Formats: sequence, structure tokens, C-alpha cells
Amino acid sequence: MTKLANNCAIAGITRAIGLRSDQDKKTPLQLVVEACSQLMRQTGVGRNRIGALFTGRMPRSYMTLQYSQSLVNELKIAPMFSTEVTSHGGGALGTIELAVLALNAGLIDYALCVTGEASPIWIDMIGGSANWEADLQFEAPYGPTTPALYAQSACRYMHECGITAEQMARVAVENRRWALHHPYAAMRAKGPISVADVLNSPMIASPLRLLDCAPWFPGGIASAALITRAEIARDVCAEPAYIAGFGQSNTHEWVGERMGTWGVGPFEQGPSMVRTGARIAAAQAYAMAGVGARDIDIVETSVPFTYANLLMLEELGFCAEGEGGRFVEAGGVDFDGGLPFNTTGGYLSFGQSGQGLYLLKEIVDQMWHHAEGYPVANVETGLVHGHGGPLACHSVMIVSKQPTC
Amino acid sequence: MSSSTEATVADWSAGRHVMAGELFLGLYQPSPETAGFWEGVARGELLFKWCAACARAYHPRRIICPQCSSTQLAWRPASGEGKVYSFSEVHRAPTKAFGRGAPYTVGLIETAEGVHYFCRIVAQQGAAIAIDSPARLDFRVLETGQRLPVFVVSAEGAR
Repeated sequence: MTKLANNCAIAGITRAIGLRSDQDKKTPLQLVVEACSQLMRQTGVGRNRIGALFTGRMPRSYMTLQYSQSLVNELKIAPMFSTEVTSHGGGALGTIELAVLALNAGLIDYALCVTGEASPIWIDMIGGSANWEADLQFEAPYGPTTPALYAQSACRYMHECGITAEQMARVAVENRRWALHHPYAAMRAKGPISVADVLNSPMIASPLRLLDCAPWFPGGIASAALITRAEIARDVCAEPAYIAGFGQSNTHEWVGERMGTWGVGPFEQGPSMVRTGARIAAAQAYAMAGVGARDIDIVETSVPFTYANLLMLEELGFCAEGEGGRFVEAGGVDFDGGLPFNTTGGYLSFGQSGQGLYLLKEIVDQMWHHAEGYPVANVETGLVHGHGGPLACHSVMIVSKQPTC
Repeated sequence: MSSSTEATVADWSAGRHVMAGELFLGLYQPSPETAGFWEGVARGELLFKWCAACARAYHPRRIICPQCSSTQLAWRPASGEGKVYSFSEVHRAPTKAFGRGAPYTVGLIETAEGVHYFCRIVAQQGAAIAIDSPARLDFRVLETGQRLPVFVVSAEGAR
């Protein structure tokens, strides 16, 4: 196989934010174009040099049949490749994975990878989307909410691994501590929370309480990354981040389908409501990068519930299988002295804004000392996990300040 | 979401709009590969797709058998026996209509056929829903007016 590790780099990553409270409310298309334009100005790579445009899933508040063409049209670019990468939330990092393949093949020199979402500005995300992650024909008629669907895995995870509500709460508490330092974190103004606050918050769908669930980011976020081969990255960027390794695993559609999947990926040994493709994606990424979990200085995940964060710490290799609860309980992700984990406040306290490259941007920003929130010292290598629900799509990417191998 | 899921209709090809307020989200549309399931529901039967060659049951909408690639899958009534695999008690319902029944429980039933069936789980008076509680198929009219297969945990079964 072609060596992919460290052959490509992020030569720039930009972000545009619009808030629900803004006087002039912005559409996702406006935000995306803003981020792309800023990136092209910053790197000096103009519209005539963009060889590929890979977008994440089209924004829910800007649905159009040929979404990528909307951007081609707005930016007046003429890329060789132009497509949406739609493995749900896994597709955000998937855009970069495809870019690396095209760049390695020598077909293009610069790929523009873009994600954007602004649904909370334009759509009633609670009232209108409470069962968005349910199969409309076979699940929605029974009245599940998105938390109730994810709760099926929480129920099994607690049962099979002895995870407690207190352990789950702990990750919400630590995520909140990071959020208190981030100017855009959705829950910043709410102040710190305790384990007791989480345990006393209203039950949403057992075992998940209000503070076990991610809030929506109160606005929209677009992110754009310019990917190029490592040997030319320095021509356009003083602070590149090497793409050391990546992996992806996609397994099922709905919760009700998950236990009917066997013999592939994480279900090789049989179906499971607990184990996920994240372990496969992480193993691929570590193998490619030639590093292990112990080499990772910072981790960003995109799972929207407390228990799933504990589970991802297992799946991504930061503790043994079944040990996520004890790992967090023992201070494993403590704001003070633990693994820097969800350093913007995470989905639980920064808020969720669809799928996006903004989590990757946080790692690059921390690496080069531009973080908006609390700074993490000495970030050499970071891991970002992109998730598409319900725990169905997983993408993992390891980025590094220096080539890892 | 005011989805029009009140009643089963004979003409599956029509499709029905699922709306979020005034926003069109998609079609709730039984289609040729799932119509048999809903015809069964209308008769008071829970049907799974069955691959005779593999002696394996599937749900929902299996078009080919992933094991042997057979396209000769038939609808076959479920035994109605199962046990609770996972569950969640919904306190904040997705719509006002469902809210009238809250809290209620949704979850996966591990059926005797090996299918994990996502549905409403109902506890009889004096029974508690727990992992591995035996559960039996029944039909209930839910808050939306739709009559659907559910699994019931009985007080005797729970002991």
C-alpha cells in the first residue's frame, strides 16, 4: 500500500460563526463561503488552483440536490473532484481522507474541504427534530426521541460494563470546566456544574438526564481546510499540521438495524449495542501514523451524550474495554491534570453544530497556540473523532506538528 | 412533529408527508419491500422476513439475505416470544401527541427468532421492565391512534 502517513498536511483551517442572536442571521451557505474565502486569502491559493472540493453532508437548513455545486458556483472554482462526503458525521473528516488519496495520487495539488451547518438559526431543532435519528417507518411510530435511541446503547453499556450514572456525570462536569474558558461555548454562561447537578437534572430518556445530553450550538459554524502535499505545504503556510493517520468505519443505519449486523467491522464476533466502528477507525489511524494512544496530547470527540464519551475513551484506546467509567472517575479526563479531552467544552458544553471540521481546527489551533479557549501546553500530536449517529459512522484522524514516522 | 401516522392505509404507494411545523422532512412511506409488514400489522400479526435457506429471520426491510444472497425472502409470523434486550423510559416525548402517554418505554426486544425488534415495551400492572424480562407480543393503540405491535412484560413473567 502507498505510504499515506504524513504525506499531506493541513495548510490552513478557517472558521466562520453566526449566532442565533445575531441581528443579521446568516445561512450556512454564507458561513461556508466566508470560511472558504478567508482560507483562500490567508494561504494565497486562489480559486484557479483548487483541485478538489469535498464537502460534508449538506446542511439541514440549506438543502439542495447538488449542494457541492452551490459552493462551486459561489466560489467560482472549477475543481476536478467535487462531491459531498455523506457518511453522516464521519463525513466531515472523510472529506480530508479523500483529499489525501487524491493528493497522494498526484491528481491535484490543493483540496478544499468544507463543512457547515446553521440549523439552530433556522430550524426548531427540538420540536422539529426530536426523532430525527429514528427510522421514520419502523421506529418513529413508537415515539422515541434521539436521546431514547442513544439510551439503548447506554442501557447495554451500563449493564455489560457496570458503568454508573456518577461516572457518566463526571465527563459532563469536566467538559463544562473547559467550556467556561471558551468565548463561544453554549453553556459557558451557565457556570460550573457538579456530579450532583447532573444526577438531579430532569430525566429525558432513562438513563439519560438533561445534563447527560448535548445542547445545540446556538448558531451555525462553517469550517474550511486546505489540504496539500507536505512538501508544498510550507509554500503557502507557516504552521502546517501533518495528517499522520486516519481511519473510518461505517456499520448500520438505525438503532433497530444495529443488532441485525454481524460478521463485519466491530461486529465481527457478533452484533453489539456497545462496541462501535470507532475502535476500527482508531486502530487504522494509529497503525498508519505509527503512534499509540499514549502519544496523543489532546482529544476531541463528537458524541452527544455523556456515556458515549466514556465509551469512546475505550474505543479510541485511552483505557481498556469496559474501563471508561473507572478511567474518568480516577481523573483520566480531569480539567486539572487529565488527558486534555473536548477542550472547547465538547458537544456537552460547547454545543453541537451538526458535523464539522471545527473540532479538527481546535487541535490545530492548540498545536500552534491560537486556541480561543483554555490553552493546552505542548501539543505535538492530537486525535479527533468524528461521529455520525446513532453510533453508526466513525472517523478518526491523527494530526501532528512534526511527521510521526 | 405532526406526522400523519394515525391510521394504516391500503394504498401504500401514496406515501405520507412527515412535517416539522410547516417544514417538509420526508416521506413516511411504506414501499413494496415493506408493504407486507404493514399488511400484517393491519391483520394483527407481526411479520419478519424469513430466509428459508439460512433459517434466519430479519427485520426490517431485508431485500436480500446478507448470508446467502437469496432474494426469496418470505414474510413469516413472529412467535411473539421474546425478552427485553435494552430499554429507555421516555420522559420528554417527541410530540404533544406522544406526550399524553409519557413516560412510556421504548426498547429492543430479543425475539425467539433472533430479531432485535425496536418497539414500545409495556409493563403490566405490578411488573417492572428490566433487561432479560420475558415479554410477549400484543397490539396496542398508541397515542397517535396507530395500532402497533408492542411487547408486554407481565407480572408473572418478571418473577
